[in-house]
Amino acid sequence: MYTQAYSARSISSGMVGFFRYLRSHGFLIGLRETTEALEVAHTSLVRDKHRLKTALAALCCTSREELALFDRLFAAYWDTSPMDLAERKNQVTVRGQVRSKINTSLVLLGRGKGTGKEEEEATSVSGANAEERLRETDFSKIREIDEKPLEQLAERLFREFAVKMRRKLKATRKPGKVHLARTVRKSIESGGDPLKLFYTTRKLKKRRLVILLDVSGSMDKYSFYLLRFIYALKQEFSNLEAFVFSTRLISITRALRNMKLDSVLREVSHFASHWSGGTRIGECLRDFNRQYSKYVLHGSPAVIILSDGLETGNPVLLGSEMIKIRRRSKVLIWLNPLKGMKDYQPLAGGMKAALPSVDEFRAAHNLKSLLELEDLLTHV
Amino acid sequence: MERFHPASPESIIKALSDLGYVAEEDLAIVLFLVLTLRKPLLLEGPPGVGKTEVGLALSGLLKAPLIRLQCYEGLDLNQAVYEWNYQKQLLSIKLLESSGSSLRDKEDLIFSEEYILKRPLLQAITQADQSPVLLIDEIDRADEEFEAFLLELLSAFQLSIPEIGTVKATHKPYVILTSNRTRELSDALKRRCLYHWIDFPDFDKEMRIVEKKLPGIEEKLLKQVVGFVQKLRSRELAKQPGISETLDWAESLMTLGYRALDQKTLDHTLGIILKSNEDIKMIREEGIESLV
Repeated sequence: MYTQAYSARSISSGMVGFFRYLRSHGFLIGLRETTEALEVAHTSLVRDKHRLKTALAALCCTSREELALFDRLFAAYWDTSPMDLAERKNQVTVRGQVRSKINTSLVLLGRGKGTGKEEEEATSVSGANAEERLRETDFSKIREIDEKPLEQLAERLFREFAVKMRRKLKATRKPGKVHLARTVRKSIESGGDPLKLFYTTRKLKKRRLVILLDVSGSMDKYSFYLLRFIYALKQEFSNLEAFVFSTRLISITRALRNMKLDSVLREVSHFASHWSGGTRIGECLRDFNRQYSKYVLHGSPAVIILSDGLETGNPVLLGSEMIKIRRRSKVLIWLNPLKGMKDYQPLAGGMKAALPSVDEFRAAHNLKSLLELEDLLTHV
Repeated sequence: MERFHPASPESIIKALSDLGYVAEEDLAIVLFLVLTLRKPLLLEGPPGVGKTEVGLALSGLLKAPLIRLQCYEGLDLNQAVYEWNYQKQLLSIKLLESSGSSLRDKEDLIFSEEYILKRPLLQAITQADQSPVLLIDEIDRADEEFEAFLLELLSAFQLSIPEIGTVKATHKPYVILTSNRTRELSDALKRRCLYHWIDFPDFDKEMRIVEKKLPGIEEKLLKQVVGFVQKLRSRELAKQPGISETLDWAESLMTLGYRALDQKTLDHTLGIILKSNEDIKMIREEGIESLV
């Protein structure tokens, strides 16, 4: 395999080499693209480097992110000349990059000294691998350089998730079967010919979702991302009710509807810092049951509680309030970021008291665990 | 009719410019590929950068009819491909009752092409005399099933209708798909298309666009308007103003007889470029002078 264009003898073989190079960096390129690229090479575009690059990018890329990567790879492949660099040295580095996958698998097989954990910290790969890694990073263990990319990734994935969920949950707009009785009755107008067909329509059923988010100090790192998640969902679900609580409970449904994400985050962090000092989940749920449940829990919606279950108040109260909520909801889901930790046992007083009423007890410590909610919410 | 075949991207830029469309070199190169390779083109970019305009411009360039399919959630084959003209079929059955032709003949008749209502996609591949431009707008809004259905059309330029069979394109259409990226499209679809990302134009390009569309605009107003919009776009807004907003705004200012931007003018017309109440409030509070 050529790693730079200068080692190729003709434009065709250079092109083929370049496509292999792209493929090794995760581009999905088939025979078809290669053939088309060779066709491009026979047009006037090939005479100008910038034009050739633009044309090949249009052929090979499928997203804006790939365009950026393509730029770099194009330069690396076509713009290096043996005069500029010590040939051997350069080739080795490029080869090294391409082979990095093989090396890592060797490490995992136990030949390297590193364990999986070291592997995770050592990687700083680009493209799809980086995304995969970010998806599985615990929100509380994010390194500073990853914060921005993770936020962007989260925003994109949450939005896609929300759109997907809405489509799945939406009452279908497709008409049902032909409503025979009605069609025949109406056909009398046109002398017995059923000119207009009438269809049975399924009853629209509004799906509802109620989310309660713990914003106490212990949830600090997580609630930042979880709130984004809720915000994205709210953009697609008009009948989503959201609350945040620590020592007190407030409804943020209106704020989510009317404000931009930044303002919501600011407001909530303001709220959270004002009532610091412990989490009174039980009391907050009692307030919820007293004040809101009448308006919010009718028609048995799905209820999601996002909290670590570290209760500083009375666990017994929490248990009894949970039973009340459970009775009025279709399904009660508890997402606990701590559950993502190895060996976690729900032994904390609050969590233990709440568990009997919970239908689904899941982790919520990284993007992946949140996106896995899809199957759960679809079957509500 | 003579088919327009450009020799190089320059000729595309020039031809488009004559049509009143300002194209960058990159876009011209990609359009050149569309015409040479006959591959569909997928355009992505933020709303309001003129993705749909590319389709219109291409149709003007080729003097080909433009067939447009606006996608939306729940778009199905009946609206995108074909539908049987049920009422016409029914009336024909009535008329044929006394004709004495066999059941087979009747069936063949009422399921013939004459009884099909052609929707955009079918229209696009059954054009009689030349290749049309097929613009599939905002494909990301359509459901994933529909996207999968498009694959057959985009690679083989044919469609299957159960009652009739496969309809092959008489003239391969030039296909342009646009997407606002509200969701990721499938790899299968993307791989069948050329890809191009359109971003908001820079200051110079936007100046040229406005000048092209509104030839009578005064230099000073033009600079101020475009500069203001460019600065707005660098801000965190709920809804960024697109090129059409710039054009609307410039045109409104001209119509109202303003010759330069000032506080009062802005107060009156801010709603033309900013479409979200929150954005308007934010910009008003910060003071508009800083942006002029």
